[in-house]
Amino acid sequence: MRPAHLVLLIGAIASAGCGGEDTRGGVEIEYNCPANALEIQTLQKETAEFAAESGIRIRLNPFSGQDKLYAMMAAGKAPDIFYTSSTMRDQLAAEGLLLDLRTVGRGDSLIGRLWPEAIDNGLSADSGWYSLGNWEFTCGVYYRKDIFREAGLAPPDTSWTWETMVADARALTVPPGPGGTGGRYGIFIASHFVETLELMNGARFPRESPVLSIPPESAEAYRRYIALISEGLMPDILRVQALGMQPAQLLDNGRVAMLVEAVPDQSLFDAVSKPWGVAPIPRFRGKPPSYFRSASGGLSISASTKHPREAWEALKWIVTRASTYQPTPVLRDVDFAGGWERRYTQLAGSGFREVWDLSTRYPGGDPRYFVRFSSWTSGLILGRLQPLLDQVWARTLSVDSLVAAVPAINRDVARELDEIARTRTLTPPFRRKIEQALREIHAPPI
Amino acid sequence: MIARERTPLAALAGITLRWSATYGALALLGALFVLPLGWMLSVSLQDAQGVFAQPFRWIPAHPRWENFAVALGAIPFGRYFVNTAVITGCVLLLTLFSCSLVAFGFSRIRFRGRNLLFAVCLATMMLPGQVTMIPLYIAYARLGWVDTYLPLIVPAAFGSPFYIFLLRQFFLTIPREYDEAALIDGAGRFRIYWSVILPLARPALATVALFCFIGTWNDFFGPLIYLNSPEKATVTLGLNMLKSQIIGSGSVQWHVLMAASLLVMVPNIVVFVIAQKQLVRGIQAGGLRG
Amino acid sequence: MTMALTVRTRRTIAGYLFVSPWIAGFLLLTAGPMIASVYVSGTAWTMLSPPVWVGASNYARLLTEDTLFTLSLRNTLYYVALAIPLGLAAALALALLLNSRVKGTALFRTLFFLPSITNLVAVSVLWLWILNPEYGLLNSLLRAAGISGPLWLQSEHWAKPALVLMSLWGVGGTMLVFLAALQGIPAELYEAAHLDGAGGVRSFFHITLPMISPALLFNLIVGVIGASQVFTQAYVMTGQAQPGSEGGPNNATLFMVLYLYRKAFQEFNMGYAAAIAWALFALILVATVIQMRLSRSWVYYEAGER
Repeated sequence: MRPAHLVLLIGAIASAGCGGEDTRGGVEIEYNCPANALEIQTLQKETAEFAAESGIRIRLNPFSGQDKLYAMMAAGKAPDIFYTSSTMRDQLAAEGLLLDLRTVGRGDSLIGRLWPEAIDNGLSADSGWYSLGNWEFTCGVYYRKDIFREAGLAPPDTSWTWETMVADARALTVPPGPGGTGGRYGIFIASHFVETLELMNGARFPRESPVLSIPPESAEAYRRYIALISEGLMPDILRVQALGMQPAQLLDNGRVAMLVEAVPDQSLFDAVSKPWGVAPIPRFRGKPPSYFRSASGGLSISASTKHPREAWEALKWIVTRASTYQPTPVLRDVDFAGGWERRYTQLAGSGFREVWDLSTRYPGGDPRYFVRFSSWTSGLILGRLQPLLDQVWARTLSVDSLVAAVPAINRDVARELDEIARTRTLTPPFRRKIEQALREIHAPPI
Repeated sequence: MIARERTPLAALAGITLRWSATYGALALLGALFVLPLGWMLSVSLQDAQGVFAQPFRWIPAHPRWENFAVALGAIPFGRYFVNTAVITGCVLLLTLFSCSLVAFGFSRIRFRGRNLLFAVCLATMMLPGQVTMIPLYIAYARLGWVDTYLPLIVPAAFGSPFYIFLLRQFFLTIPREYDEAALIDGAGRFRIYWSVILPLARPALATVALFCFIGTWNDFFGPLIYLNSPEKATVTLGLNMLKSQIIGSGSVQWHVLMAASLLVMVPNIVVFVIAQKQLVRGIQAGGLRG
Repeated sequence: MTMALTVRTRRTIAGYLFVSPWIAGFLLLTAGPMIASVYVSGTAWTMLSPPVWVGASNYARLLTEDTLFTLSLRNTLYYVALAIPLGLAAALALALLLNSRVKGTALFRTLFFLPSITNLVAVSVLWLWILNPEYGLLNSLLRAAGISGPLWLQSEHWAKPALVLMSLWGVGGTMLVFLAALQGIPAELYEAAHLDGAGGVRSFFHITLPMISPALLFNLIVGVIGASQVFTQAYVMTGQAQPGSEGGPNNATLFMVLYLYRKAFQEFNMGYAAAIAWALFALILVATVIQMRLSRSWVYYEAGER
């Protein structure tokens, strides 16, 4: 092939690849949606309907990680609507990257329909409202009804205790066969749900705390968790990760008899075909009930969006009408439990309604480590804490040593906050918040 | 020590022993090398239960060829294929042109400072890309080139030390008589380069083209940091996205993931089978002179 | 006199013209960014706010306080120290096998070389499943041999060896360089040695190794440079987990480039990342210089090539 032909060919391909001009009318809003194939398919159909009725086209941008978001903002190509976790929100708001939703939402009828938490969870230090939560969940203990029946055990109810659960797990654990494979574990609790045990044991944490603290109730919860592993009632965390299966699959193929997971959890409902029920997290003797309710983030609008009004309309549509998350828990006038029972018929009589009601009556907040800390220090604390936790779960580090490591971590935190205060440009309310945190660290309350 | 004499029978036995030992070792190692690929093919034809079956059935009862279709559909691989082809094509053209130009200069023209410049050129091969990556990223972001193909394509216009080196070595072996004949005919340097040297250097150019193709097609780090929009992704990036999607979903479908990985490997294998000799010669040329 | 100068000047101009793309590239894409990178490494910069000069404090923190950096350095050195000797030995062994004069080695040469040019991300995904402790190929084979395999990528002690094992699968390119060098050894040397009564092992150490020592040096230097920059495998296989766990179990696979990527593109601390890049460069430079110095004592060049 002559060089000239080659050049022409490449040029043709290149111009084809660059895409044609967008000659359709109307406004286009770019939305960073979760990179879930099923959800994307459904959204594509529904956004077409939304475009037909409102003239606003929502362009889906499947996103599997948050690390690209900041890069896109830095390059001036931020999407209009995107998910912000509670630990990212403050940092982005402090740099003026998020639109204050009050500017577009004031007077909107939606505000009255929202539970207060949906707004509270999105407020930042300068009282700006930067994110609207579109999903909340609690967690519970899913159990295989047939396995319980086979073993002659009474299924768990809403008032069961930790001791009962451990006894059940003991009765249900079957050791592995020859060759080291097979067998069944009584229960599996993923390590990111250990924090719910801390809650039930009475630990309380300040929201968005700049420093790490592990109160004695938490340490006790960890010890009980590790005892499950030591006794062989629960598979080693690393071993489960190493299995290459999601926890729901473990429940479905009977490798575990009980599983702590989110409630509701669509992917679990889709994945588990055997009969199951769900019970709340068991009570710890002598401690008041306090059930986990997630608050890990929500949808935000970029401050540099060219169409704030249309972005707000699109946001409202996503929260209230995009079918993957309907019925949504953030709206007051929605029958959440009933709606989900209609979507998934196996939920009726499974204990789902009771678990949800308990979490509404005794909400304990979101104690998970990647939500618990202040936006400025979360990354640093997690970076130091997670490896230690990994060692604790692998039982190569004692819980006492973990607790003893906390002051050193907090010293680093103080240093990092100091540097942030010195080197970042921050709007005044956020600067004040950081300075206050520094004061508290250096002169702890009596 | 005096050489020991061996009877013809012993010599034959010795040769046969060595022959079968060599073949035996080659067969064993060959099997070990091919095993992962064979297993990959096997897993990609299984269904969701077969992947986790104990013991594993190497040849599934009902091979699910549709896994490949599912893999292609889960993520717009067709689009990514086109994207990657565009990038690779542009880079290939620019690289061949610029590297041969520069190699011609280093090999055919004796000019002041040539050896020093060439030494510097070679030295830059040792520089880890990460040192220049950060300022380059910042510069590209300022220029608005992030999330376009420009940061991946434009550097190819300036030549790459390894290919310059390969081509220069080859050009040095072309006798000067060709140049002199052309000079007598009144050709300028560029004419000599274009009409005399380039056609003679076709094998070396083919080698460079092959390596450049493979390197650009498989590039991960570049697209990872410079491309953000999912529709602009390359095949390599797309596979990474698929992996994150599948492993994060409710039930992990390893068979689809293996099918996708196999598909991504196919262009490499095709190029390799076609151009085997060229690749082998190229690597050996580069390594021997180093 | 005047004519000669003009010719030389014309040649110089022509030379520089031909070489100009590379010179331009060197200034714009290498020298310039290197200088800028020195500046950036002295700042704290998130790209959205203007840079703030902090002097050498990034380097100070890197060398004295940052335990994660020291860990990433140790991880990188461990990987290089394990992967390079094993890789070279394996490549040489394969090349020796292929060099024997039996028919059909071309097929095996293809087989051994193929894995090294396939897409590294695809290879990483494949090995992610091969290394699965319960269902993966590797542990299945070990189980058949009666050994209970470790948790590989989930174990902090076996994660790096797992990556080294994966790298052995890709020694094809190195093997080819050795093969070419081996084929360049004249047969007379072996015959002469055999006449003197030398056996296989002695001729290996006294003929083969010295004759291929230039190729060995090349593979060694290139190998060390490449292995120090290990990223893709670590990123694809362990680097996209929960925040805080991206370095593998207990940060066992946190290599320097992965740490750099984290600092630059997840925490947006560009200045600190630039400092890490310079530390990496220093490491590679020192390693290469040491190898070149040491090479004078063991590398044998043909007469006149030094």
